Amino acid sequence: MIKEFSILVSIVLLLTGFVFIHYLTHNGVSSQKTLSSISKITEISSPSLSVAYYEPRVLFYEKTLNPAYPQMQAMNKMDLVYEQ
Amino acid sequence: MNNNAFLHFLTLLLFKQKGKHIGAVLISVIIIFLLSSVLFISSSLQSMLLGTLESQSDFTVSRVQAGKAINTPSAWMDKVLEINGISQVAPRIYGRYFFAPREESFLLVGVDLFDEQSSKELRSLVKGLDLKSFLSTDSMLVGEGVKTFLSEHYYKEYFSFKTPQGSFKKVKIHQALPSGTNLIANDMIIMPIELAREIFGLGEDEVTDITFNVPNDAEWDNIIGKLHLLFYDVRVVEKREIVKAYENLYNYKGGLFLILYLVAMVTFMLILYQRYSMVYSTERKEIGILRAVGWSIKDILKLKFYETAVVVLVSFVLGVILAYLYVFIWDAPLLSQIFLGGANLPNHVSFVPVLEFGLLGSIFLFYAIPFLAAVLIPAWKIAVTPPKEAML
Repeated sequence: MIKEFSILVSIVLLLTGFVFIHYLTHNGVSSQKTLSSISKITEISSPSLSVAYYEPRVLFYEKTLNPAYPQMQAMNKMDLVYEQ
Repeated sequence: MNNNAFLHFLTLLLFKQKGKHIGAVLISVIIIFLLSSVLFISSSLQSMLLGTLESQSDFTVSRVQAGKAINTPSAWMDKVLEINGISQVAPRIYGRYFFAPREESFLLVGVDLFDEQSSKELRSLVKGLDLKSFLSTDSMLVGEGVKTFLSEHYYKEYFSFKTPQGSFKKVKIHQALPSGTNLIANDMIIMPIELAREIFGLGEDEVTDITFNVPNDAEWDNIIGKLHLLFYDVRVVEKREIVKAYENLYNYKGGLFLILYLVAMVTFMLILYQRYSMVYSTERKEIGILRAVGWSIKDILKLKFYETAVVVLVSFVLGVILAYLYVFIWDAPLLSQIFLGGANLPNHVSFVPVLEFGLLGSIFLFYAIPFLAAVLIPAWKIAVTPPKEAML
């Protein structure tokens, strides 16, 4: 095995180790607790979507309509990401 | 061949021909990085949102007219409470407030701060919150996005809401919500329920919707039936519907992400296949020489397999690590806007690391197998031809 290859493998292993240490030591519980807390107070669990005024902000409660074709399934740009 | 000699030759070959591999590694790292970033963001959001649902009420009812939700009479609360098996009936008042000059909107939420549970929760969430001084004047708590927006527009201490009656309601900006709540409350304003009612122009007997719990799961369908018999203009949203919807949220299996990934992968594999099977490529010459000095087809395939495996492994690991750093350490600038939008107030969310090893394994297989095939098939085709012909 040549030296350059050993260096490459060491760098990759080092980075992997760093990621695992970060993953194992990150305190996700307190973040989750904060979110649960605000959700409990407001009774709203929808993500804070940064959408235009005419687009639904609270998922599953608000729906948009196409003013020209009210019968048509409404489509907005978030529908591409948020499957309903 | 001796294993040490083989390994030495393999690593030497990899570094002597690094120009050949660097392009493939770069494209692979970009593809894996983008795909892993999207999956990391979606699994993190999904896990964070599903976690918040535990504290949500089981049902929400609202009045509908012509298919649209309208204000719900608060008298419905008493009627709902009369149904056996229902508990914790509570009103909700919320809605969006449009700030016309900048075409931005906030989500106003009225909270019953005299409810012991809510006030206790709020005190533990917002450090140093003095509820007495908060309730002594018309005050509000604002999300980080709202706070920044209002400060930029010189609303440092107060903000005046325009009510539907045309009057202005001056409300004190009491405190900002912690940045950890940004995923849900970035554009949110929390205020006492009566103040929210006044700003939205709701009557004393009206609320936005009503929430309640049904502790016995087996009763859920029965309760829905009873509600529809009780009110004819009602829409019932169940928590289990929302849980299902959140589970399908950002459904990469559903289509869009998978299609994009497949298009990218197929294009990349075609480029690789074409490159390795070119008639006058250096690859042909190299394989021809190895065959001429006595390497068997098996040895050549072994060399190509390991060579490609190293490229695949290194690019996969680098792509995943870069995606991890990008999403969980740098909070995915730009890409997070695809998920959270960017049309209203800017939102900076810190993603909680969630790694789905099964998913990463699937990505690896979907990426490694076509990659290996795209290299090994042309290499085998060249290896089976006589060396003299291969070197032509």
